Amino acid sequence: MSGVISHEFEYLKPKNLDELVDFLTQYKTKAKILSGGTDLIVRIKDGFESPEVLIDIKGIGELKELKFNGNSLFIGASVTFNELIDSEVVRERYPLLWEASKSVASTAIRNRATLVGNICSAVPSLDSGPALLDYEAEVILKSRNGERKVNINEFFLGPRKTVLKEDEFVYGVLIPFINRKNGSAYVKLGRYNGEDLAQVGIGILVVEGKEYRVAHCAVGPVAARARKVEQLLNGKDLNDSLIEEAKKLIVEEISPITDIRATKEYRIHMAKIMLERGLKAAVDRLNGKGPKYGERLI
Amino acid sequence: MRKISFILNGEKRSVYVEPNDLLLDVLRDKLGDKTPKYGCGRGDCGTCTVLLNGKSVRSCLILAVEVDGQEITTLEGISKGGLTELQKYFLKHNSFQCGFCAPGMIVTLEEFLKKNPKPDEEEVKEAISGNLCRCTGYVPIIRAVMDYVKNK
Amino acid sequence: MEELKFVGKDIPRIDEKEKITGAARYVDDLDFGPNLLYAEIVESPYPHALIKKIDTSEAEKVEGVVKVVTGKDFPFKFGLYMKDRYIFAQDRVRFVGEQVAAVVARDPKIAQKAAKLVKVEYEPLPAVFDPLEAIKEGAPIIHPELGQYSHVPWFFPKGGTNIAHHRKVRKGDVEKGFKEADYVFEDTYKIPRYAHCCMETHISVAYYDLSGRLTLWNSSQSPHVQKALIADALSPLGITEKDVRVITPYVGGGFGGKAGVTMEVIAAALAVACKGNPVKVRWRRDQEFYNTYMRQQVISKIKVGVKKDGTITAFQIENFWDAGPYVEYGANVVNASGLSATGPYRIPNVKIDSYCIYTNLPAAGPYRGFGYSEMLFSVESHMTRIAKAIGMDPVEFRRKNAIREGDSLAYGAPMNPNGLIEAIDKVAEEIEWGKKEESKDPKKAIGKGFAIFWKAPAMPPNVSTTAFLKFSGDGSVNILVSGMEIGQGYHTAMAQIAAEILTIPIEKIRVELPDTDRNPYHWQTVASHVTWASGNAVKRAALEARDKIFEVVSRAYHFNKDSLYLENGKVKCYLKPDFELDLKDFVINGIMKEDGYYVGQNIVASGQFFVDFCSALQDPETSQGGHPNVHYTVGAAAVKIEVDKETGKVKILKAVEAIDCGKAINPLNVKDQIIGGLLQGLATALYEDMRFDKNGKILNPNFTDYKIPTSLDIPEEVVPIIVEVAQPDGPFGARGMAEHPMIPAAPMIANAVEDAVGVRIKALPITAEKIALALAKGEKEPDYYWHIMK
Repeated sequence: MSGVISHEFEYLKPKNLDELVDFLTQYKTKAKILSGGTDLIVRIKDGFESPEVLIDIKGIGELKELKFNGNSLFIGASVTFNELIDSEVVRERYPLLWEASKSVASTAIRNRATLVGNICSAVPSLDSGPALLDYEAEVILKSRNGERKVNINEFFLGPRKTVLKEDEFVYGVLIPFINRKNGSAYVKLGRYNGEDLAQVGIGILVVEGKEYRVAHCAVGPVAARARKVEQLLNGKDLNDSLIEEAKKLIVEEISPITDIRATKEYRIHMAKIMLERGLKAAVDRLNGKGPKYGERLI
Repeated sequence: MRKISFILNGEKRSVYVEPNDLLLDVLRDKLGDKTPKYGCGRGDCGTCTVLLNGKSVRSCLILAVEVDGQEITTLEGISKGGLTELQKYFLKHNSFQCGFCAPGMIVTLEEFLKKNPKPDEEEVKEAISGNLCRCTGYVPIIRAVMDYVKNK
Repeated sequence: MEELKFVGKDIPRIDEKEKITGAARYVDDLDFGPNLLYAEIVESPYPHALIKKIDTSEAEKVEGVVKVVTGKDFPFKFGLYMKDRYIFAQDRVRFVGEQVAAVVARDPKIAQKAAKLVKVEYEPLPAVFDPLEAIKEGAPIIHPELGQYSHVPWFFPKGGTNIAHHRKVRKGDVEKGFKEADYVFEDTYKIPRYAHCCMETHISVAYYDLSGRLTLWNSSQSPHVQKALIADALSPLGITEKDVRVITPYVGGGFGGKAGVTMEVIAAALAVACKGNPVKVRWRRDQEFYNTYMRQQVISKIKVGVKKDGTITAFQIENFWDAGPYVEYGANVVNASGLSATGPYRIPNVKIDSYCIYTNLPAAGPYRGFGYSEMLFSVESHMTRIAKAIGMDPVEFRRKNAIREGDSLAYGAPMNPNGLIEAIDKVAEEIEWGKKEESKDPKKAIGKGFAIFWKAPAMPPNVSTTAFLKFSGDGSVNILVSGMEIGQGYHTAMAQIAAEILTIPIEKIRVELPDTDRNPYHWQTVASHVTWASGNAVKRAALEARDKIFEVVSRAYHFNKDSLYLENGKVKCYLKPDFELDLKDFVINGIMKEDGYYVGQNIVASGQFFVDFCSALQDPETSQGGHPNVHYTVGAAAVKIEVDKETGKVKILKAVEAIDCGKAINPLNVKDQIIGGLLQGLATALYEDMRFDKNGKILNPNFTDYKIPTSLDIPEEVVPIIVEVAQPDGPFGARGMAEHPMIPAAPMIANAVEDAVGVRIKALPITAEKIALALAKGEKEPDYYWHIMK
């Protein structure tokens, strides 16, 4: 169903956070928060969502903030992927997030789609997932009762399910800055070079001192870190036999399904190859070599 | 019904809309600007692309109420003052066949070339990769853009 | 030959300015005023079921609903080649998404809401989705009344089965041919369904005015056929063809999907039901996938015998086409491709069986290449494998067996003049055939693939077209034709042909989009025949106009007509070098003589082209005896690809394609057709396909999961090559070429993949996934086919 929207709803546009909190307190699950709308509007058209109220948060200045304070980066709820891509700070200091953002859809979608919207949709294939997991981001949730911070590792509960409570909203995401040399890579499998949803996504972050962070998306119900692989790698120099062991281990950490986009078998096969290529690219980048960020890795 | 006002192609326009009216339909059916087209309704194809405050967006995924007080530009606005330089290169290179993707493609390139006036071919391909064209194989479109960039 | 000034030149498209400024109007861009009504279709959720009861009462109560229409309001059939389809389902539905009822309302949102209130009771029936299953004993019979359906005389439906048509070709003695062979190779290939994916979805606005005149504005390739078929379908209501008018503004892509009649007949019926109000039916993108046509799935069983020296002695093929539940157009795809299933080879002993089979997947039909894009995958994959098996170079094998002018075709008629060998040679040279190349990356392998192809326009044997040409007082010309400018550059080519004869600049010529009231008859814009057929009509119209011009001038000035000629839009005389008369000075108002009286006539002309040298009546058991095709357009193509042996991803480093278009009226447009069509073909080879669940419901009716190529998916280099061996009866020697670029794409990719990594994929598409899994598992001939998802 991709035509008109016949479902009726009320549209509210709070001017500030207080108004937003009031609306959420009042409407709870009857309301949906609208920012870019690139996922939500399609779901309303398809009949998967029928909110009574849409709360457009683009009128709230605070939520548009993208701030770096030397220790961490704050990404407000209505910051778009293109704003992340255009940000010097993101490009220089959070290249994994930058690379992942570049892989999202196409320009006109990225001009609207937000990172916070991406995590709130909580689809298994979310491109921002591996980067946020590797950077150990915190999600800032707010409601009438105040604020709480949830580690991104605990944020996702299942496909399209998060810890967000019915009167809560995501205020923004806080990403700590890693003040050590690091290299990273987001490797994404699509059916072709044009925009596609990830069939497998692997995000690698290698920090000076042989620290490895590995996360994946689209190969399980939620995006997650591959802890066993990290344990294996940590403290070691990358070599072929270590990579082979890591490839065996990642299979234990993922649980992909067969769907129209790829078979389980191919997802497993590719997760191994992408892990290998991602690790090599991240280490090369750490050492100032390798492909430029944003270049296609598979 | 509520009244919204926004700048459409340089002119202030006011219109009554329902909250569930899509920008694409309001532009076409209530304001008479037929240049953005319905192609897929899901943001996948790019035929409905317009500029919202100078940035390319999918008008099939935006509620009309969201653009109250904003600025919208369509191909109609771009073409109003005669052919742009880029359009002259499209003419020269026979860039479009059925022409249905042209409005979205040209609007997308309008934003892109402002941001990146001297792109290389890969950047051009990346820029228009969200605008599907079933006829041309994209080559005549890219050919025109590169010729325009070279001669600018 | 005289030097041509317009034909053969890279003239910029005459429709381009309208398209790049947004001025071009498509059906949805037209305004119909506040009386316009909108329709929403109630669709079947079952692939096969009896309709027990329809309750429309709740929907009718909704404010703003004007009418709810069901099958009982329009118990009428329609169809181009075979009448097997109703405007709305009657007692049974045969695919998921079939139209059961429609709600017409003042507003599209109201229509959508009310459509959900229409209650339909079904009794599900067993369904069948596999053509091989559908022809087995005991399969559910999809059309119990098949034996009584009317159809063209060259179809052979088998009542009581699911076989809607069986085209048999028998030439020579195929068993003897296999005995003479040193080697016999046999295999099965699978080709899934594909979607056209025009950027503009189907749309029809129909208006039945209070006097009983029915006007339709359609996005269509076939205005006159639509006029005829819709009038025929509604004739029980007293509607005749003279009262039906079809207007077709610009079309946002066709590719065969907008040929014949599909949803336009629904709009027509709804308009009749809502007399006095225009009614708009616009397909959503998902409907576009399941309720127009798709390309047919085909299972192809092929067996070929060859001698050691590479001579083909026998060719046998069984093509099992899954045509869906309605074959009113698709049956002709099966028929046409059945006649030509050998591909462009000279073969003495041939046995072809092309079966058109009913299934409960959505209706399928014509798509760019009309059967050839589908079936040549098996032929051209197989030919390369045979050549390799007997140790012969695949290009050499093709050169040896390629059909030549005068060779007898499978159905006995002679092959037309063609440049197939020239195309093969030029492509082989450009792709550096025979030169082995290695990738710099050890994980990657480079391979090359080659394919040849042909295609004849698939048309009835009596196709007709007319052009009108009229002058205005300033010497400018309007040409009225009813071929459709669907993006292929038809208008520009017609303008060039007229300009060549009339010697006036292109800027002074306008070619008008069809309106069946105004523009003369043209059958349909399909089959890559308009440049040839309509081009002939336009040329004849221009010649007639020229003759009338000379007539007027010779009467006014007493010149011998034969001494007159045109140059730069002026009449000149070989015998009087100082004489010249501008067309604008007399084409409307005539020429004033010295006495003040005038000589003249308003210069208008018409030109016709009617195919009167074809017959589709052949022996049904052998297909011998007739002359069903006007001619073939041939070509050759090759690719160089790089395959990542781990990921299976294929990168196209270079693609080359040569087509013999007889004469390129506009070489730039011909080359751009090759580039665009080739990419469409490459996508069917590499990643597109329709997927269905086990109940026959489409799983990917959108661009999120039906991946059509983007600008990032184009080959690194494409080299289009024009070959020109004139078509004797074509305008300036031209024949059509616009469908053809896509035909060789799939087999040449399959051949290149095998060349690169040794994996032979026999089921399309050749995805990265299939290649990678085969390599990982060491399978040489993997058998993955995911058309129906379990």
